[in-house]
Amino acid sequence: MINLKGIKKSFNKSEVLKGINLKIEKGEVVTILGPSGSGKTTLLRCLNFLEKPDGGMVQIGNIKVDTEKATKKEMLTIRKQSAMVFQHYNLFAHKTVLQNVMEGLIVAKRVKKKDARYRSELVLEKVGLKDKLHHYPSQLSGGQQQRVGIARALALNPEVILFDEPTSALDPELVGEVLSVIKTIAKEGITMVVVTHEMSFAREVSDRVLFMDGGVIVEEGTPLEIFHAPKEERTRRFLQRISGDSFFPPLKERVN
Amino acid sequence: MGKAFDPSLIIEFIPTLFHYLGVTLQILAASIFLGLILGVAAAIPRMFKIPILNQLVILYVSFIRGTPILIQLFLVFYGLPAVLQIIKIDVSKLEAIYFVIITYAISNGAGFSEIFRGAIRAVDKGQTEAAYSVGMTSTQNFFRIVMPQALRIAFPNVANSVIGSLKDTSLAFTIGVMDMMGRGDTLISATAHALEVYISLSIIYYSVVLLFEKTLGKLEKYFNRYQKADLSAAA
Ligand SMILES: Nc1ncnc2c1ncn2[C@@H]1O[C@H](COP(=O)(O)OP(=O)(O)O)[C@@H](O)[C@H]1O
Ligand SMILES: [Mg+2]
Repeated sequence: MINLKGIKKSFNKSEVLKGINLKIEKGEVVTILGPSGSGKTTLLRCLNFLEKPDGGMVQIGNIKVDTEKATKKEMLTIRKQSAMVFQHYNLFAHKTVLQNVMEGLIVAKRVKKKDARYRSELVLEKVGLKDKLHHYPSQLSGGQQQRVGIARALALNPEVILFDEPTSALDPELVGEVLSVIKTIAKEGITMVVVTHEMSFAREVSDRVLFMDGGVIVEEGTPLEIFHAPKEERTRRFLQRISGDSFFPPLKERVN
Repeated sequence: MGKAFDPSLIIEFIPTLFHYLGVTLQILAASIFLGLILGVAAAIPRMFKIPILNQLVILYVSFIRGTPILIQLFLVFYGLPAVLQIIKIDVSKLEAIYFVIITYAISNGAGFSEIFRGAIRAVDKGQTEAAYSVGMTSTQNFFRIVMPQALRIAFPNVANSVIGSLKDTSLAFTIGVMDMMGRGDTLISATAHALEVYISLSIIYYSVVLLFEKTLGKLEKYFNRYQKADLSAAA
């Protein structure tokens, strides 16, 4: 379970997160939509303390941290509760696919090498990369690299996986393979927070959709509520802008 | 002017001079090794912006860059004993070669510190964030993710410095070190065949540099094995 209370973050005196409150249940898949610059990435990064929030409380699993008093050790502990999948994959360039996935297990989680290898091969098989174990990231397509990124996160067996626009750096023809991997693991009951601009994906996998704008969560609800009956004008305008009017077919068609 | 040019002397001089290559390589190895340590030590205050030390390193690097190595050599040779005298350490009996090694270590250290700093900054920050995101500490990240890649990035520049430094060692004879160049100097005095001596020396230096370039190039390729250019080779 995740619980955020009053998360605030400013950069150079401009407030990017204005007190975010958010509860996420175990196994829930939450997607975050919102215009560029609305603070989506910053929110994810505050969750794993890649950015230290200026104020508020972060709880993931059993670990609870008051951000104002957070020590280095606490930040490391809470960071180990989560894993992240980055927009630009951020794979370790000098390590093979297998080593990329094993690294966190061996170094941070102190898993025995043999066990780490076993577990890593298993997740890599799940993301369809069993035949690329000894390739370097530079030898892979973007879609393959991102699937390594997902495997690296998955291998850690974290309380939650944070996805920051996992497909937006990909060529259009590679988006599908990555989304389908994410869908598969979403169905396995792993808690996920996904920032995305892929509307049909969000509609399909989310238990809950958040719409962020200007550093606040403007609206939240089920995909059905958000996509078909948004309450807030800002949400409606955003959805219209990003998808064009024709994208959303009438409700009847979509239900079946 | 010397005597009439005699090419056969070149063949004769080469083995004599080659005999002193060991001294040259000793100077090189010691000054590179110490220079690497000094380079790391000097890069740290720059990277972490440690006050005062940071400014001192900036001054150190710019002074080394802005003065001829020959003058640095004389400064160390005459200056170091004078400075050490103040704290009652007598180095007047110290062999000249040590002053050469110290000078070149200081000079290499300045260059290396800049190379290291640039290389560490050139490693993709995203990978550091990824390392943190899987739960690594900043120390683990530095030694396992950043440093191996920084070494690869730094390598070609370090290799260039090594070759440059090899040639610079030829100045050691000016303070009386008997390396290849020093031996050449005495050969010239003894035979008055300066041109033949310099041709012999250039042949030896050039051969050694070529050998170094070849070896270092191979090492560089090894370091780059995970880079894009190698894609077809490794796939
Ligand atoms: N490290 C940073 N330093 C300064 N400003 C930042 C930094 N990170 C984000 N910002 C600013 O915070 C705002 C929100 O950014 P971000 O969270 O990346 O938005 P989103 O992911 O929704 O596009 C933007 O205006 C951005 O310029
Ligand atoms: Mg973003």
